[in-house]
Amino acid sequence: MTSKQRVIEGLNHQEPDRVPVDFGSSFITGIHCSLIEGLRRHYGLAERPVKIGEPYQMLGIVEEDLLDAMGIDVRPIFPQRTIFGFPNEDWTPWTTPWGQQVLVSKHFQTTTDPHGNTFIFPQGDRSAPPSGHMPKTGYFFDTIERIDPDFDEDELKLEDNLEEFGPMSTEEETYWREQAELSRGSDRAVSVHLNGTALGDIALVPAPFLTHPKGVRGVADWYMLTSEEPDFVGKIFDRQTEIAIHNMEKLHKIAGDVIDVVVVCGTDFGTQTSLFCSVETFERIWLPRYKKINDWIHKNTRWKTFKHSCGAVEPLLDSFIESGFDIINPVQCSADGMDPQLLKNKYGDRLTFWGGGVNTQQTLPFGTPQQVRDEVIERCRILAPGGGFVFNTIHNIQARTPTENVVAMLDAVREFNGMAAP
Amino acid sequence: MNTLEDLKTAVINGKRKEVKAIMPDLLDSGFEPSAVLEQALIPAMSVVGERFKRNEIFVPEMLVAARAMKEAMAQLEPRLVAAGIKPQYTAVIGTVEGDLHDIGKNLVATMWKGTGFEVIDLGVNVSADAFLAAIDQHKPHLVGLSALLTTTMPAMKDTVAAIRNAGHTDLKILVGGAPITDSYAAEIGADGYSRDAASAVDAARKALAA
Repeated sequence: MTSKQRVIEGLNHQEPDRVPVDFGSSFITGIHCSLIEGLRRHYGLAERPVKIGEPYQMLGIVEEDLLDAMGIDVRPIFPQRTIFGFPNEDWTPWTTPWGQQVLVSKHFQTTTDPHGNTFIFPQGDRSAPPSGHMPKTGYFFDTIERIDPDFDEDELKLEDNLEEFGPMSTEEETYWREQAELSRGSDRAVSVHLNGTALGDIALVPAPFLTHPKGVRGVADWYMLTSEEPDFVGKIFDRQTEIAIHNMEKLHKIAGDVIDVVVVCGTDFGTQTSLFCSVETFERIWLPRYKKINDWIHKNTRWKTFKHSCGAVEPLLDSFIESGFDIINPVQCSADGMDPQLLKNKYGDRLTFWGGGVNTQQTLPFGTPQQVRDEVIERCRILAPGGGFVFNTIHNIQARTPTENVVAMLDAVREFNGMAAP
Repeated sequence: MNTLEDLKTAVINGKRKEVKAIMPDLLDSGFEPSAVLEQALIPAMSVVGERFKRNEIFVPEMLVAARAMKEAMAQLEPRLVAAGIKPQYTAVIGTVEGDLHDIGKNLVATMWKGTGFEVIDLGVNVSADAFLAAIDQHKPHLVGLSALLTTTMPAMKDTVAAIRNAGHTDLKILVGGAPITDSYAAEIGADGYSRDAASAVDAARKALAA
């Protein structure tokens, strides 16, 4: 059974020969670049600087040799442009604030202030205000909220919050054609991020990819808008949905045969203890638009639809299913009401759990290798039966996580799968 | 003619513009600044906190209520100062070094203001030295530390240690943030932990009474 078959079988809720594994196929199932360096060393792979595939969270690209060493079944095709609005091309050395030598796109343009803060420019354009900030002791960027000087809260303009959504460019079409060719025939399943289908992902609201964003771009301002102006938000989402479906039609023509999984949405609806909105609000603002997107996908493609939301989202899982999502990630078992056994019993036949493998807030960074192993075995025992499970940590593997814990995690998955450690 | 009840309702529902209009009316028609605080604003934020705890409202509604509360306080504070009314407790709050996340911290600050504390908000990416300087300057009863990231939890630990090592052994320190737990709070020598902004009021009152 190939990796691709294993993933597809699992997604179809049949139990594959072993639990499929993902690391690095998306921006929410990835690995911080510092850990990739440690893992390459651990597995005795050629020492070379890690390429930064996703510069916002400083996620490294997991290259083929490391995919093999870690036993990974999924590979990505990343979007043509990063979250800071530039393509990853002409790799250039860069030294991180913690002293790691990495490779970044030539458009990865930064400046540093006297306090050691690093600021990154959108689209590599040094004449624009920076859109990301990495503190001196930080390990990734956070978005900078750039306030539109002409913004008037009494005169909200739809088009201001739609600037970043438009038809796929010729440049992007060419990119997808090339990438599809590289992935065609791969033994691994292929996952891609769709563009413009997230509907209000809070990481994207400040538009770190635009040089001069307009409209509602503050994180708190956006949350307040969802409460105060739900109809306006709904109209923004209607337009985004129309554009996204048009772009999916193009993507499907170019690379539809290559793609197995589409990350539709990284919009978080949960906090550690609760939701970001009521179930009724979700059903009013989000559900009809997500359903339109997912219905198009299911009618026209064989892609499986992937929904990411951190937090205590158990009360929303039925609504996610009704929205047409096939996969839920990251399955934050430590959040309120997210007990893995409960989730498996209640939703396991309708949702694939992509994640949930180990807690990245506690066990993986701060536990012992034995604690990591025990948690991984327990989660696999609960989530694997009957398929509908792809092993991944609960969100990206964070900086400062001990490499030995990541290795203990991968060894535990192998142990569960009845395989010897490499 | 507006009443204290009108102000309370407007804050609960996050109607900033109504609050902006009601406040001068109330203050100019003879309501004592302390009555506005104690009979309208504090009860309003208490209702908001309770509704949040019961999952009847969520972060967006907390944020609009906090914004309305901020509007009211901007108008009320000069009157309170002029009347010589000092809050019983002072708190210093900030997000620890290396961490730029502030929504949770801002909500805690508002809820503490909403229970009558004076709150000095140091912002985000605050070094241990900056916390120490603020403690020396404001002599607070309470310090609140926030961290969203596992990578900045060590900075929280170091900040607590720095505060204790500077001799502030009785100063109450409360911590919070997504990866923080009760046991972590105890492990690093904090006096309390709160899992959300609404419970942060209870945690602060408990720590101060201890």
